[in-house]
Amino acid sequence: MSSRISPQQVLEALKGVEDAAQQKDIVSLGYVKDIEVTSDRTVIVIEMKTAAPPKANSQLAATIRKAVESLGVQKVEVEIATPSASPPKTQSNLIPNVKNTIAVASGKGGVGKSTVAANLAVALNRQGAKVGLMDTDVYGPSVPALMGGKQEPHVVEGKLEPPVEWGIKIISMGYFLPEDEAVIWRGPMLHKTMQQFLGDVNWGELDYLVMDLPPGTGDIQLSLSQTIPLTGAVIVSTPQDLALDVAWKAIAMFKKLNIPILGIVENMSYYVCPHCGVREDIFGHGGAKAAADRLAMPFLGEIPLDPKIRVQSDAGRPIALDLNSPLAEAYQSVARALAEQVTRVGQEIPQIMTE
Amino acid sequence: MALAPRTIRLHGEGNDLVIEWADGHHSSYSYQYLRDRCPCATCLDSEPAPSWESGPLPMFGSGPLKPEKAELVGRYALQIYWSDGHSSGIYTFDYLRDLCPCADCESARENVQ
Repeated sequence: MSSRISPQQVLEALKGVEDAAQQKDIVSLGYVKDIEVTSDRTVIVIEMKTAAPPKANSQLAATIRKAVESLGVQKVEVEIATPSASPPKTQSNLIPNVKNTIAVASGKGGVGKSTVAANLAVALNRQGAKVGLMDTDVYGPSVPALMGGKQEPHVVEGKLEPPVEWGIKIISMGYFLPEDEAVIWRGPMLHKTMQQFLGDVNWGELDYLVMDLPPGTGDIQLSLSQTIPLTGAVIVSTPQDLALDVAWKAIAMFKKLNIPILGIVENMSYYVCPHCGVREDIFGHGGAKAAADRLAMPFLGEIPLDPKIRVQSDAGRPIALDLNSPLAEAYQSVARALAEQVTRVGQEIPQIMTE
Repeated sequence: MALAPRTIRLHGEGNDLVIEWADGHHSSYSYQYLRDRCPCATCLDSEPAPSWESGPLPMFGSGPLKPEKAELVGRYALQIYWSDGHSSGIYTFDYLRDLCPCADCESARENVQ
């Protein structure tokens, strides 16, 4: 029994372990949640403050194991909990079990909003989170095609059961319309639709509900922003000035409604010629990053212009699913930055207490 | 981002609605004070504000005024459901902060005027 070490000794050893991303030791970062020493094993529970790629987590676990084993302990188990799977909770009666709602918006159309939204949903899901994808563009719904599949929503016990594609629950006006018909509605109908997409769909428990918004600053954006306390908005823009100028308008709207901007994504950032490998900045490059810096807003990352994204999107299989592709990694990196921002703003939602 | 509440306590100890703001400031509003300043169109258009507490038929008075519940409107406002059945007022956070009845805010307002 005398050979058993104390949790205090383990903690001392952990002070020598550094989180590579933060460049600080994991004890002072507050990552160490629990240390349990029993006669046959030592369990260390780590709770990360921000989401990290799985590879970084397993590296950290190995370093911790090595540090503790150097104390002469035989069986060391390390459990790492990442926040992407359990972000802070928002408050809405319509969707009580949805923790975070993220609006993907843009000023102009055609910047790839829906493609970014679909791939972000997949990337967040790949990081272990439960994700829903709500296509709020009732005029031009494109999410069903992007996510593929032939399922349709059906009613179960008074609630709409959303199709699940690639692990993501999806709702879209596209499921309810014959292909050659259009939605020709005014504002009040749109408002009602948004409320039903939220309240009448069986979303169940979700970590993130990603919402693909139509372009601009109209009825749907307003309805959503007033119906639920959105966690925040992601602005998608191409790098050229023309698109960025209009993106300001979307940002201004969210600011007016007190909705945090989670960050800007630069889509169609650059093009690498598949024949000669030369990189071409078709719409210019870095415009969104410069703009984000100027406004002191988080820059979430850049997604290149690549025909593979278009081919995969048309085939209903988002590129973020292809784990070995650098394009999927680009989306993963944006999703990680996004999860980090959600953790940052999540706590700022006012809590109403009745007692 | 405009200033937002951190917590909103509907039934404070002094029969008041208490807001703790993100900057640490505390505001405590008596129910009647808030109800009198309801920003909805009906209340704004009637001078003086209609007496909801008793209504035109006083025997149907619903007891002392208090908020039954409140909901966030998006991330910028609070909708209060009063015990007299009125609920159409949407109090934006900016408006609530401007209404703060504490001595500091009161004198700040006077200085502006």
